[in-house]
Amino acid sequence: MARYGMVIDETRCVGCHACRVACHNQNSLDEKEAYNHLEEREYGTFPNYGREFLPVQCQHCDNPPCVKVCPTGASHKRADGIVLVHKDKCIGCKYCIAACPYNVRIIKKEGYIEKCRFCIEFIEKGETPACMTTCMTGVRMFGDLDDPNSEISKYIVKHKLKQFKAELNTKPRIYYKRG
Amino acid sequence: MERLNITRRSFLKTATAGVAALSLAPGLLDFKQWAHASANAAVTIVPTICNGCGNRCGLFAYVKNGRLWKVEGNPEANGNLGVVCPKGHGYLYDLYNPARLKGPLKRVNGRFEPISWEQAYKEIAQKINLTLLSNGPQSVFWVNYPQTNHAYALRLMHALGSPHYFTHGSTCFTARNAGWVYTVGELPSNDLSNSQYIMIIGRNPAGGIDLGQMKRIVGAKEKGVKLVVVDPRHSETAILADEWLPIKPGTDLALLLAMINVMVKEGMYDKKFVAEKTTGFDQLEEQIVNYPPEWAEKVCEIPANTIVRLTRELAKAKPRALIHRGYHGAFGAQYLNSFQTARALAIANSLLGNINREGGIYFPKTAMLGELQPTHPAPDLPQMGKLDGTGVPGRYPLGSYGDGIAHAIPELALRGELKAGFVYHNNPLRTNPNPKRVIAGYKKLELLVAIDTVLSETASIAHYVLPESFYLERTEVIDTKHSGKRAQVSIQQQVVKPLFDTRPGTQIIIELAKYLGVGKYFNFDIEEANRLRLKPLGVTLEKLKEKGFLFVGDKWKEGFDKLTTPSGKVEIHCQTLERLNFPAIPQWEEPLVSPDPKDPHSFRLLHGKQAIHTHAMTANQPILMSISHRYDMIRLWMNRARGAQLGLKDGDWVQVESTIGKGKIRIRLTEGIHPTCVWLPSGYGIFSKHLKTAYDIGLSYNDFLPTYFDPTVGHVMASEIVVKVSKA
Repeated sequence: MARYGMVIDETRCVGCHACRVACHNQNSLDEKEAYNHLEEREYGTFPNYGREFLPVQCQHCDNPPCVKVCPTGASHKRADGIVLVHKDKCIGCKYCIAACPYNVRIIKKEGYIEKCRFCIEFIEKGETPACMTTCMTGVRMFGDLDDPNSEISKYIVKHKLKQFKAELNTKPRIYYKRG
Repeated sequence: MERLNITRRSFLKTATAGVAALSLAPGLLDFKQWAHASANAAVTIVPTICNGCGNRCGLFAYVKNGRLWKVEGNPEANGNLGVVCPKGHGYLYDLYNPARLKGPLKRVNGRFEPISWEQAYKEIAQKINLTLLSNGPQSVFWVNYPQTNHAYALRLMHALGSPHYFTHGSTCFTARNAGWVYTVGELPSNDLSNSQYIMIIGRNPAGGIDLGQMKRIVGAKEKGVKLVVVDPRHSETAILADEWLPIKPGTDLALLLAMINVMVKEGMYDKKFVAEKTTGFDQLEEQIVNYPPEWAEKVCEIPANTIVRLTRELAKAKPRALIHRGYHGAFGAQYLNSFQTARALAIANSLLGNINREGGIYFPKTAMLGELQPTHPAPDLPQMGKLDGTGVPGRYPLGSYGDGIAHAIPELALRGELKAGFVYHNNPLRTNPNPKRVIAGYKKLELLVAIDTVLSETASIAHYVLPESFYLERTEVIDTKHSGKRAQVSIQQQVVKPLFDTRPGTQIIIELAKYLGVGKYFNFDIEEANRLRLKPLGVTLEKLKEKGFLFVGDKWKEGFDKLTTPSGKVEIHCQTLERLNFPAIPQWEEPLVSPDPKDPHSFRLLHGKQAIHTHAMTANQPILMSISHRYDMIRLWMNRARGAQLGLKDGDWVQVESTIGKGKIRIRLTEGIHPTCVWLPSGYGIFSKHLKTAYDIGLSYNDFLPTYFDPTVGHVMASEIVVKVSKA
């Protein structure tokens, strides 16, 4: 079965936040809520200077610390690798927020925890997540990591892409192309 | 990077494009209730056009349970190619912003009171007619942001006999336009997709978003294009660039003159093109010797050897090489030398032989729309010209007559030459320079009518406020803005029924005309008028409404026989300029003002767009404004070393002061900006108390910009500001 993952080409991100707002609308979030963030970094000194934006969202880890600490099984990993939260099982204990090294989970007003769902409603129809579809510079790529012939698999191998905070052994399914 | 095979667009095959003019069930106006009730509701999809900025991107609007849910990009739309920017996603929710106007208002003793549409029209018409009788038709004006509905506004002004129709152009792009028009006859486009070398001076399509341009730049980068960005600030576009050249602000003309010098001296220009398609190269050859790269290095602070290297690279890639035609930044309306900068840029492109060439600068195809006449005869043209001096020798001879000089309206009002005016989809109190003077001018008017969706700064001082339906609630005049290599027509159509007692702008103009006694020129409705517009194109209104965007006419072809200039050629030497006593070949010209290099507090104030805000219209959008706060974006950029000299730490509050205004803001210290300037994000500084999310947050560059009129074009010279910055 497919095991979904994403590539984020950080070198293409110009920090416009369209992904955040597209996600916001897709998921009918409140005005200050967001499932994805941008971390801006600067380097060099004038005039030899550059900056980059690092888009961060739920990494859909293969070894997800949020799932391990969840006392009710609300945070869970599906067979296709996508990590989701059963909002009816969530008791809002925030263990998962403490355990997640990527700081991408939010507490909804209703009391449960949510985060990027890889837009499963699109994925299940063979389409792509809202953050990817809206992006003017094509930062993201989505596909099946289990299929060695998928474009994403070949791309990851070709560019020797790495995961974010891979040293924590969370085994994220998002791979980053860095500058 | 190859994109994913699986298509996101499969739904298009089955999507029905009927108007989802559903009414909202009671209770669902509340977001939470709606979100809960609508999770699995059926969705209706309507193609329309975005109003989040002037780019008019193609959207599919999704409606669930009668409430707008979200938008996605229309892949057919040439200007956005299926993607949507943050403003496109965010601004749509202003449909439900509590700040929206809910019915017509009349100001009585300084307070707004509700009034019926009919009574408002009657009173406005009485006052306008009285003004027409006592002061003549030229005392009435209309100013708007130019979109397709302006066709009706212009018709209304002409029906009243007034020449005074204005756009915001003099605050935005008129210097750039004039530079191109007086060189190649019209404003061209950039063929970014097919270019092998792109230099961008001042323009920032990743911040002042142009989605189509960004997609095309990224596509060209995949094919190996070299991208060079010249900007005093490390713009968002510079993030994608191979090289960033932090030029000293206001000196782009020096860089271009030196590049032309190198091309001429080293014989790297397109000799065949120059011989056959240009005039005045000999004069250029004589004069350009004055501007070697070693001279330019001292002026613009880009090393001479870099200028030589980049010019050689650019020339080697010709004709598939271009210097971006520009927009607002650097030479749109920024400096005293902006017109000559735009001329030099057009000439530098011409020397590359890239005019109307694949991968160069090209003239987009235009859709030959039908006219309302003869079915609906047009009023005669007004007998007198504009009083703002556009097109008048000795005043602003190269100004764009069609746009007028909108920031002269307060002057004309203070002099008593304008008495009554309509402001539509525009907010001069916030977007024109020197607000104190703008307020004084607009307050002097005997009648000010604002047509808006919220109580903007300008609407707040109007005598009457006519509430326009939100863009998703109204249908507009057929658009052609997305025309490129092929012409395109598009339509903004109603997606949901108006929530409040508001009307579409076109309907307001038609109704006003009837009350003003010029209804005979407006015996049509938008439906009929749009059919007449489409008639010669062989496209039905039904088909357009179904698809949103349609290609029409022939494909673009490379090359040209004759340009629309007087000589039919590229006018390197421009006789019109010679006749008017302006330099007929571009010459170096200093900016009007410059910061004092000996004063550590003295900086030039620059401004520019952030991707999440447009003009003064999105700062009150809570979703977008929450991003400004979350990422601490409401700060003034300053070079780190200059900040250290002033004892500033990142995030400190500073006082900013120019000859006309002062204000406080927090600072962003960075290595990514030229030391002589500070950079203020535009879009903030809202002072209408009715706009609660935006009120009193950040500053606008207009608070510091004196009232200027450039002597050639009449533009605002928006970066001719010297400010003193000190720790607050």
